[in-house]
Amino acid sequence: MKFLDQPPRFLFFTGKGGVGKTSIACATAIQLAEAGKKVLLVSTDPASNVGQVFGISIGNHITVVPAVPRLSALEIDPQAAAQLYRDRIVGPVRGILPEAVVKGIEEQLSGACTTEIAAFDEFTALLIDSSLTADYAHIIFDTAPTGHTIRLLQLPGAWSGFLEQGKGDASCLGPLAGLEKQREQYKAAVDALADDKRTRLILVARAQQSTLREVARTYEELAGIGLKQQYLVINGILPKIEAENDALAAAIYKREQAALHAIPDVLKALPQDQVVLKPFDLVGLDALRQLLIDTPYQAQAATDSPVGLDEPGLSKLVDGIAADGHGLVMLMGKGGVGKTTIAAAVAVELAHRGLSVLLTTSDPAAHLIEILNSALDNLTVSRIDPHAETERYRQHVLETKGAQLDAEGRALLEEDLRSPCTEEIAVFQAFSRIIREAGKKFVVMDTAPTGHTLLLLDATGAYHREVARQMGNTNLHFTTPMMQLQDTKQTKVLIVTLAEQTPVLEAASLQVDLRRAGIEPWAWIINNSVAAASTNSPLLHQRAINELREINTVAKQHAKRYAVVPMLEDEPTGVSRLLELAGNSN
Amino acid sequence: MWCGCGSTVSFAADVDWAKQNGAQIERFNLAQQPMDFANNKVARDFLERSGHEALPLILVDGEFALAGRYPNRTELARWTAIAEIIAETKPVTGCCSGGKCC
Repeated sequence: MKFLDQPPRFLFFTGKGGVGKTSIACATAIQLAEAGKKVLLVSTDPASNVGQVFGISIGNHITVVPAVPRLSALEIDPQAAAQLYRDRIVGPVRGILPEAVVKGIEEQLSGACTTEIAAFDEFTALLIDSSLTADYAHIIFDTAPTGHTIRLLQLPGAWSGFLEQGKGDASCLGPLAGLEKQREQYKAAVDALADDKRTRLILVARAQQSTLREVARTYEELAGIGLKQQYLVINGILPKIEAENDALAAAIYKREQAALHAIPDVLKALPQDQVVLKPFDLVGLDALRQLLIDTPYQAQAATDSPVGLDEPGLSKLVDGIAADGHGLVMLMGKGGVGKTTIAAAVAVELAHRGLSVLLTTSDPAAHLIEILNSALDNLTVSRIDPHAETERYRQHVLETKGAQLDAEGRALLEEDLRSPCTEEIAVFQAFSRIIREAGKKFVVMDTAPTGHTLLLLDATGAYHREVARQMGNTNLHFTTPMMQLQDTKQTKVLIVTLAEQTPVLEAASLQVDLRRAGIEPWAWIINNSVAAASTNSPLLHQRAINELREINTVAKQHAKRYAVVPMLEDEPTGVSRLLELAGNSN
Repeated sequence: MWCGCGSTVSFAADVDWAKQNGAQIERFNLAQQPMDFANNKVARDFLERSGHEALPLILVDGEFALAGRYPNRTELARWTAIAEIIAETKPVTGCCSGGKCC
């Protein structure tokens, strides 16, 4: 493995949820420790299973791992860190200021950036020289801060106008208020990150086009800050031999190889390692030791026990949606779970039943949408360009709000506008114009705002609730956009995920966030399920069995209703393939 | 969106202007400095009575002077002539506020 060659002191693994960062970080830690180095492994996974991997309980303090000499581990729960952070700011005024005010402050500190900054706060002590970490030759992190967070902390305006005096009115910096350490310490931590003699960043991806594109963006963003020493690991590649006797495996193999072939240019120049999909679960020391070793792959005996999944398909869910005659359907989920495909399948299913449907996408690469445009009479298609919308929004804010700021303030505002929330707000505004159509027909969208964004946009939300309470029995008719989203008769939010542990956990936290805004997701859709497809490939069969546990978790713990959508051999494009995806044999 | 925060910006410029003319002005953001609101009886009572929707609140010499909008230069000038100014501003949960969405 190239990324293990002469590693510097700090190793950061980054990549979207479910690509295998934690497994690879664990395997790396074991390998370096067994090579004689003293190693500290730091996990920031909110549902870290590092303890389980090593058979001990770890938690938020450095713990020796008895099974591996020279290895210690630490689990930072970013959610818990963010909660402590909120408590630090809000705690002192709770019970003194009115509850609505306290809730408002809490909401501002409940977004993704607060979690990021709180986690970075915890990292800081590990990155600067201290007696705490002096003994360790290597410190391995299973996640990395985003470019946005680092840039924010690098800006002098973030400190001079705000943290040192505790004053100022930059708009996106509320979360910075809880930072406890000295400015010098954050600067030292950021310097350590940007120093290629001390830090190596390992981008972890899968052999999927969308994932590789996302990784290319991460690369550019972090390289722009100075993290030049980056490596690429492509995890979980299906071996060729597996493709020989199974149509689904052959299709996946072909798709993965095509994605590897079309890898974005900026990633081509990076030192690259490929990790082959293993036929075993990555639990326990032996399994992790083998993860990074290229053993010749032995074809497994074909299994003849089918998984036998009998779960509801998408078509059944659409029955429930169609029953209301019209309304808004929003697909929510992390990138890469297939929201656009599912949105198209839901739209086609509805249109196929003779209902009038408008399908709207914000995915610039959604070619399947074009094909649908003239396919069915009662299906229309529209598109929103997130880049154009975000740019328009940024310009508007900079012109109105930024006009009279000084250089530092303006830099801060510009960084503020690069936050992931900005795109979400801009795109949602564009969608809002279309949402009105949902009173007459079905509007299906491949995205949805997070609860956090809605709560912040709904500045008068407390007022709405108050009005609703007072009007209680008077039967006066009134609605607000927020109320439209909260009413499942009018709006159905469908959470899309994959039947894998991390994506399911991520989807569950999206659901928690929506519930905070009073929105109850109507159903879950588990996409790309191998268990719902049929396969003779032993590797895929193993994966199907692993999926059952996750499908069960979704069914029992998370979802009011759910559907499982099979992985198909080809990308579903066109009406008939989308109907097939929905489980409609017609 | 950003909910017409242009007013905050021009107010910032007005504050700078007043300060250059000798005024003593302090600004507080509810999301970032809630303790300052909790510790000030006028601000605390104001929030209790009217909620954060009613901000900004402007106090002069610790006493209520204006609420619901930012003062203009004429008003700032008048107060400056009287005495020092303390302006408490706090744009709210959604807009123009600390920590928009991060």
